[in-house]
Amino acid sequence: MIWNHFLLAAGISASTWLLAAFIPKRELVRNGLVLTGIASIAIFIGFLWISLGRPPLRTLGETRLWYAFFLPIIGFLTYWRWRYNWILYYSLALSLLFLFINYMHPENFSKTLMPALQSPWFVPHVVVYIFAYAFLAASSLVAIRGLYQEYKGQLQPKIMLMADNLVYLGFSFLTLGLLFGALWAKEAWGHYWTWDPKETWAFITWLGYLVYIHRRHQMPSKFKSSLWILALAFVILLICWFGVNYLPSAQYSVHTYSQQP
Amino acid sequence: MNKNTKSLWQSPWGYSESFLLTLGLLLIGFALEFTVGNASFGTIVFPYNLIAGGVYIFLIALVYFLIRKKTVFKFLSGIPASIGAISGLSILVVIMGIIPQIPIEEKGIVTSLGFNRLTTSIPFLFINFYLLFILGMVVIRKLFPVKWKNWGFICSHLGLWITVFSAGLGSGDLQRLRMDLNENQIEGRAYDDKGNYLDLPLAIKLNDFKIEEFHPKLAIVDNTTGSLYEATKPSMIMIEDDLICQLHDWTIIVDEFFVTSGRIGDRYYSIIDFGAAPAAKVRVISHTKDTISGWISCGSFNRPHESLKIDERFSVLMTVPEPKRFSSEVSIFTPDGQKQEQTLEVNKSFTVNGWKIYQLSYDETMGIYSTKSVVEVVKDPWQIFVYIGIFMMMIGSVYMFWRGSKVKNEETLNGISG
Ligand code: HEM
Repeated sequence: MIWNHFLLAAGISASTWLLAAFIPKRELVRNGLVLTGIASIAIFIGFLWISLGRPPLRTLGETRLWYAFFLPIIGFLTYWRWRYNWILYYSLALSLLFLFINYMHPENFSKTLMPALQSPWFVPHVVVYIFAYAFLAASSLVAIRGLYQEYKGQLQPKIMLMADNLVYLGFSFLTLGLLFGALWAKEAWGHYWTWDPKETWAFITWLGYLVYIHRRHQMPSKFKSSLWILALAFVILLICWFGVNYLPSAQYSVHTYSQQP
Repeated sequence: MNKNTKSLWQSPWGYSESFLLTLGLLLIGFALEFTVGNASFGTIVFPYNLIAGGVYIFLIALVYFLIRKKTVFKFLSGIPASIGAISGLSILVVIMGIIPQIPIEEKGIVTSLGFNRLTTSIPFLFINFYLLFILGMVVIRKLFPVKWKNWGFICSHLGLWITVFSAGLGSGDLQRLRMDLNENQIEGRAYDDKGNYLDLPLAIKLNDFKIEEFHPKLAIVDNTTGSLYEATKPSMIMIEDDLICQLHDWTIIVDEFFVTSGRIGDRYYSIIDFGAAPAAKVRVISHTKDTISGWISCGSFNRPHESLKIDERFSVLMTVPEPKRFSSEVSIFTPDGQKQEQTLEVNKSFTVNGWKIYQLSYDETMGIYSTKSVVEVVKDPWQIFVYIGIFMMMIGSVYMFWRGSKVKNEETLNGISG
């Protein structure tokens, strides 16, 4: 019963979004299709909520549903404000990926999520991080391109404007992610910040981009040093993302297991 | 562009001076840490932290009034000084991110410089004070004269200042204690992590501890080592009625499954009894089509555990079930004679008289039969200020998202690389 409704909802989202990807020229139609797909997930979540009699936030499958719901919303808002098409398609693709994982693993709907993760903060915490990483990764691609142009001696100042805006958007999401994490930790464990290795590296990442933002603000006409700061910040971001588990400090982390996206 | 020609410490100061200041501060900090050590300072508690905070704010204001007309104020409230301070903090945090933050017995360079407990080391304290000072100067300069268009800037910067300031000062007043509640008993005392008991201005009576568990899982273990066999994924599968599944090289069929049961004679029956444990009758089919059938149970505190040997090397067993949710129905009594009925659950805390009560744990050896509930009680009088700071920063972030970068586009487009 629930499963059939899930298939219906996921089917509607998948088909509207695929259609949307094929008619990008007609903006109104395309946006309508994107919103229809989002609405279909929303209705399914509402239905699930009523039929379970509790907020559907207790299993892995249920949290993925929320990702699939919030990602396109933020993606759409970002697109609407900044006209970055790629972020819209990126968020739609990720959302479909989460729906697809649920489709492949129906048992996830009945599977456990450890009680500490059963929190309304969990979903926003992860969703804003996904966006932060997307923007910051994109800004680094721009930085690499810039450094290459610089090496060739033909750096175009316009490229910096692109990098700046991506960093600003990414940094705002990163800050929100850290703050959501802190509020959640306070609500769940009684402390905002425990300097767990993952937290520590997330904080270092944040500091790296903070330096970039301020350096750019002060020296808008100098590019090279800023580009290097941006490239370095991305290396730190990668350490935070993948590398933390290999550091000596990580043996003691609470973030190294159990947090599947 | 006279920056390259001016000599060090000649006004106006820039990046070189900023980094040298930070470096000096770190060196002094580490030197002090090395010689005096950290034994000398503990956390400060009310009312001393309030006084220290007041003095600090007063000093910032005083410094501002003394230097606001001087060029050094431009430096102290400018980006080069900010970046120096942020970099100094970054260095310390990178050390913290690499070296495990745990007590180390043997003395060495790591312990004497405080690398393994950086957040309580002197250089960390210094850098935080310095950063707060610089950030304070930055905020003051943008605050006066008041301009409405600066509201986003003020939200993020002042929010950060308030957050760091109140979280730092308040950490000494934070109390986190535990209480063991037993069903139908009133408890008014809590203990800290050293086992000291304290009287609380409230008492809690546990009326009922409720716990639901997931079904236990099937797993294969090595007979000789007793360790879990993890040849393929999944390495454990949750038991359901009539489950047929593939676990590693075996097909397992669950013929019967009882959530609570007891063994009578040669089989288990579904019973409801104190300590009754889950049990299942399983058929295990190997790839050579040999079938072995038998009962398995994870046991409980008063029932034995039973596994099924499937060949010389391996046995199939049932894991101890994991908790799905647990909650405590409590009555909370306060000195004013009030009584409140509440349900405490993980992630659903309850606040009374400035104490926040969290569901933490229970008697895990007893599982669903636990009549004990462990709760954590937390008092954090500074929390409201930290939250104000955090919400200001959130508003600042949303503003930043909406406005995007307006990094002096003109100057950027006319820019030169270098
Ligand atoms: C929450 C963290 C922070 C964020 C999001 C942030 C963001 C920004 C932004 C966007 C600007 C450009 C202001 C404008 O639009 O005019 C700026 C400027 C500035 N920030 Fe930050 N910043 C943060 C933390 C800090 C810290 C920790 C410091 C120093 C200790 C600092 C010092 C400065 C200074 C000096 C300026 C230049 C102000 C001016 O002269 O216009 N910021 N910051």
